[in-house]
Amino acid sequence: MYISDFNYHKPQSLKEACRILASSPDAALLAGGTDLLVEIKQGLRHHQDIVSINDIPELKLINIENNYLQIGAAVTHNEIANSKIIKGFCPAISESAAKIGSDQIRNVGTIGGNLCTGASCCDMGPILLALDAALEIFSTKGTRTVSLRDFFINHKETSLNNGEVLSKIIVSKTQSETGAYFEKFGLREAASISVASVAAVIESENGMCTNACIVIGAVAPTPRISNKANQILKGCKITELTENSPLLVKTGEAASDDSLPIDDIRSSTEYRRDLIKSLTQRAVLKALKNN
Amino acid sequence: MTKKGIFGQILNRFNKMKHIIKVNVNDTDYEVAVKPGAALLELIREELNLIGTKRGCGLGDCGACTVLLDGKPVNSCIILALEVNGKKVQTIEGLATGETLHPIQQAFIEKGAIQCGFCSPGMILRTKSLLDEKPNATTEEIKHDLSGNLCRCTGYTKILEAIETAKAYLNGEKPKDIEFQPQKSVMNLSVVGKRLPKLDAPDKATGRAIYTDDIRLPNMIYGKLLLSPVPHAQIRSIDTTEAEKVPGVKVILTGADVPDVKWGTSPARYDETVLAKDKVRFVGDVVAAIAAIDEETCYKAMKLIKVDYKELPAVFDPEEAMKDGAPRLFDNKYENNINTRVDHHFGDIEKGFAEADHIREARFVGNRTYQNPLEPHCAIAEWDRHNKVTLYTSTQVVHYVHHQLSRILDLPLGNIRVIMTNCGGGFGVKAATNTLEILSVFLAKRTGCPVKMRFTREEMYLYGRGRHKQYIDLKIGVKNDGTITAVKQKAVLEGGAYSSFGIVSTYYAGSMLATLYKFPNYKFDGYRVNTNLPPCGAFRGHGCPHPRFAFESLLSMIADDIGMDHIDIRKKNAMEPEYHTCNDLDIHSCEFQACLDLVRKKSGWNKKKGKLPSGRGIGIGCGGFVSGAGYPIYRSKFPHSNAIIKVEEDGSKAVLFVGDADIGQGSDTILAQSAAEAMGISFDRISVISADSDITPLGFGAYSSRVTLMGGNASKMAGEEVKKKVLSAAAQVLNISEENLDAKDNKVFVKDNPEKNISWQEAAAAYFSTGGPLVGKGHYSPPEGLGGTYKGAAVGTSPAYSFSATVCEVKVDMATGKVRVLNFWDAHDCGTAINPMAVEGQAEGAVLMGMSEVLFEDEVFDHRGKILNADLHNYLIASSADMPLIDSSIVDGYEPQGPFGAKEVGEGATLPVFGAIANAIEDAIGVRIYDLPITPEKILKAIKSKSK
Repeated sequence: MYISDFNYHKPQSLKEACRILASSPDAALLAGGTDLLVEIKQGLRHHQDIVSINDIPELKLINIENNYLQIGAAVTHNEIANSKIIKGFCPAISESAAKIGSDQIRNVGTIGGNLCTGASCCDMGPILLALDAALEIFSTKGTRTVSLRDFFINHKETSLNNGEVLSKIIVSKTQSETGAYFEKFGLREAASISVASVAAVIESENGMCTNACIVIGAVAPTPRISNKANQILKGCKITELTENSPLLVKTGEAASDDSLPIDDIRSSTEYRRDLIKSLTQRAVLKALKNN
Repeated sequence: MTKKGIFGQILNRFNKMKHIIKVNVNDTDYEVAVKPGAALLELIREELNLIGTKRGCGLGDCGACTVLLDGKPVNSCIILALEVNGKKVQTIEGLATGETLHPIQQAFIEKGAIQCGFCSPGMILRTKSLLDEKPNATTEEIKHDLSGNLCRCTGYTKILEAIETAKAYLNGEKPKDIEFQPQKSVMNLSVVGKRLPKLDAPDKATGRAIYTDDIRLPNMIYGKLLLSPVPHAQIRSIDTTEAEKVPGVKVILTGADVPDVKWGTSPARYDETVLAKDKVRFVGDVVAAIAAIDEETCYKAMKLIKVDYKELPAVFDPEEAMKDGAPRLFDNKYENNINTRVDHHFGDIEKGFAEADHIREARFVGNRTYQNPLEPHCAIAEWDRHNKVTLYTSTQVVHYVHHQLSRILDLPLGNIRVIMTNCGGGFGVKAATNTLEILSVFLAKRTGCPVKMRFTREEMYLYGRGRHKQYIDLKIGVKNDGTITAVKQKAVLEGGAYSSFGIVSTYYAGSMLATLYKFPNYKFDGYRVNTNLPPCGAFRGHGCPHPRFAFESLLSMIADDIGMDHIDIRKKNAMEPEYHTCNDLDIHSCEFQACLDLVRKKSGWNKKKGKLPSGRGIGIGCGGFVSGAGYPIYRSKFPHSNAIIKVEEDGSKAVLFVGDADIGQGSDTILAQSAAEAMGISFDRISVISADSDITPLGFGAYSSRVTLMGGNASKMAGEEVKKKVLSAAAQVLNISEENLDAKDNKVFVKDNPEKNISWQEAAAAYFSTGGPLVGKGHYSPPEGLGGTYKGAAVGTSPAYSFSATVCEVKVDMATGKVRVLNFWDAHDCGTAINPMAVEGQAEGAVLMGMSEVLFEDEVFDHRGKILNADLHNYLIASSADMPLIDSSIVDGYEPQGPFGAKEVGEGATLPVFGAIANAIEDAIGVRIYDLPITPEKILKAIKSKSK
């Protein structure tokens, strides 16, 4: 178990980073390294070139511009968890980040890494999908913006092309009566991988749900929007959404229906489906409380 | 721009050369050249030689390598050294100011928060960052925030106490005092019975304690093992030609290069070879050993070793393996793969069941768990020019390593020196000779260089020797009043590929059921079966936790059947003092009833049992263990523990030399307390040198919970001899007959006139002046003739037995099946607690470890016998966030066989936990789970099946 040697690059700008990426056959970007270095140590991957993006100032920014929250891709989980700006904008984003790994991991792991690894169990994906976040992607050809909903393709596969760097995550301000929450289920109280998770964003007006987005995590090749659940919620009365109320039970079942879980060492397919039912209920109720 | 050919390679090497970085470590600026692939951990440990930062898992899961990077805790094992260029790093060495410890270090030492110490540097630094950020952190915040630092010893309880204390120190407040009632048996003692911080705690709190991997000898090279990737195969050939060409490779050994001698743990089952001879039997079996200038070179070269395997059918399930026609692991022995068969019948089982009013039977299945000490195994071997080898190792048993090496090398003990360094936890996995210890010696011999070998976390699991998974069919018969009339148990133990401790594990699985409750008729059928998986061995509670889980579960089920309270049925059958069990074990002291009464009271049992709302439950479990095995692992007449005390010529201090091993449980401290008490000196006047075969007298080491009683008796005896000599000298000085004198608290005084005294020091110096070296020696052998005469009667014998009871309260999330253990109320009869703080530490650690095994832990294999969770990422162990409140009590007791009345705690405290949690979960959800671990998934399934 060792980190095989590589050519180390530490560009000061996105442009330079992209240039290095383009000129190497197998370069990998290094942000926190909490996945990358572990996989290299385990012998699962090898790279001739490693490009550290931790010195690129624009990747470390957190700001709000014209009702858009922008988070640099190399912002760490703990920076997100503790950011007053983000907490003020949408606390569920901070709360999601706080649920990742241990403190040591959160101090180095980044939001960009969490998304770009493309793991189905990633903990930032669900809430950001539910909030319909967009990604700004940089390359030598310029920047492109893509909806997160088009980013995840399969487990560990994203629409990021060779030579591209995720630079920013952009979340638009939700309307006033919106609640959001990320419910995570791990096998240990802390520092564990999600067995299943659900993010819920509920928009309401005058006691009616005007829009909803339920995203299920770790139960499909990518975090997945449950359209069935969304349809049930949209247009319902908020008062109908109480613990084990018929409508909420139905919502949970719908989300579970939309899942495509696998059996693995953490859980069976069946259990993941069961989990989604109750986690959906909880996520919705907590989202409403977070309103 | 793919770089090809020799020039390309040179170019690549050039590009991958070291980079110079500037880093400030502990307020010193360094300019260091680092390889691109070097982790911060390597920079700290290898380049800067700051060995206080520990390598536990190497993958960012355990937190042992935590350092503060610009004030924030990070896992230094998964950060590139290059990435800290221009940053500020703080390691444990940078926390104390000169000789003045940081208040957090002070608190960890005082409160007994340090056992093996391997997690301590990381834990302490994490605490620092936590309290820097949140000076008034709540208990819940601390529990949550500390969850990235795993500890396998303490159960986090004392760590939390220490953090609360540190918080008070830092905030200028007075820390809360612990309420503590000393036991009756220590009322007149000065050193024994005191809550003293461990002798090694200051070194462990400051990163000074040396573990094997911290040692770097001149000219030292590194070794690695090539492990089998297939579960069962004939080795047709091994070609090392290409591998040997790799620059830096010194030697590669295969089966042909090492003697044919078989080794193992129990002489009756020596069945391992130094390196695979013709066959491999599990994924992880050792095929070749390599030594090179560094580990990276070893790994690179190992990839080039070509092994031609002819794969054979493999078998992974013990019940399958027992069937006729199943693939055989050994052609010439262990028919039907049955490695050990036990057929015990005591009393009359037919009669016993005939007398029963109610009989119930059930099948229980255990789990395959791994000890997971935070410190990976490590060994360093070095030969001198006189054909003598010195081995530094992280072991629980210097003597058995010594003995085994002597057998394998065919050298007398005197040609081998085994030195135990600090040991970062064992729990049984370091209780026998391991492959690193053997092969480092061979590699060092061949190369003429000292060779260091260490396991990665994954290799630890592959080496195995964890808990046997047991399949248990248990049947108990009772009278209407709850009296047990008969017990029948069949246990099938999944053994893995080799014997290890397995023969003993199998006997223990049977014998120890009879020490807790009185029953006259008992039948035990034990089968240990070889499978193509890593060998199983001895893990805390050796062989007993699964049968005990089964028994405690079934006993509670029976209590429900006959309408009896769960504690009442236990009290009805509870062991009593001076009892001879049906399988010929002699119980002496026993305060089991007191344990039951205490946990009933403390837990509020009568108000809670059966009365808690759905999803809440309370359960009881009990256990107990031997205080040291009555017989050694191989036949020998040597006393089991031995001690020598040498007093300085000026009488100022004494040094205790013992062969037994302090693996973090605190035995050095406990033995020093026993010796100091016996000599009549205070604790600050004694130090300990332990577990070095050249220097310390034979001690069998730390296994079977033996050290307090056996090492304690030897140390006490040595102390008494010293005292006798000191009294004789004082008698001359005071001109009073020796019989009228006694020594205590550094004074020698006249018994009926204590005012008349001289200092112990003066008397000791006087002795030396006329009599030469003031030395005392002591030894301990268990009483002769322990146990019955039937085959296997030796296993389960002991001079004394511990008893314990624990009540556990849980909350079950009925929608997900997730369990939150809220409380444990634990009571232990360990006789006299030589050091109550250490006893509590053992009990708390045992409770949390047991809880972790019950709820989380299980090794998972694919259909080809490859383990899928050989890490701390997928094999979860309990973190601080999972810890319940543990209230651990020591009942009054006195064991006549033990030093000052003491007996064991380390393993006995684990045993009640399994049943207690299982029973509490049943109480919460109304359905019983029969197989471990009790995962949320199983619970939810059970809840759903019940509501159908």
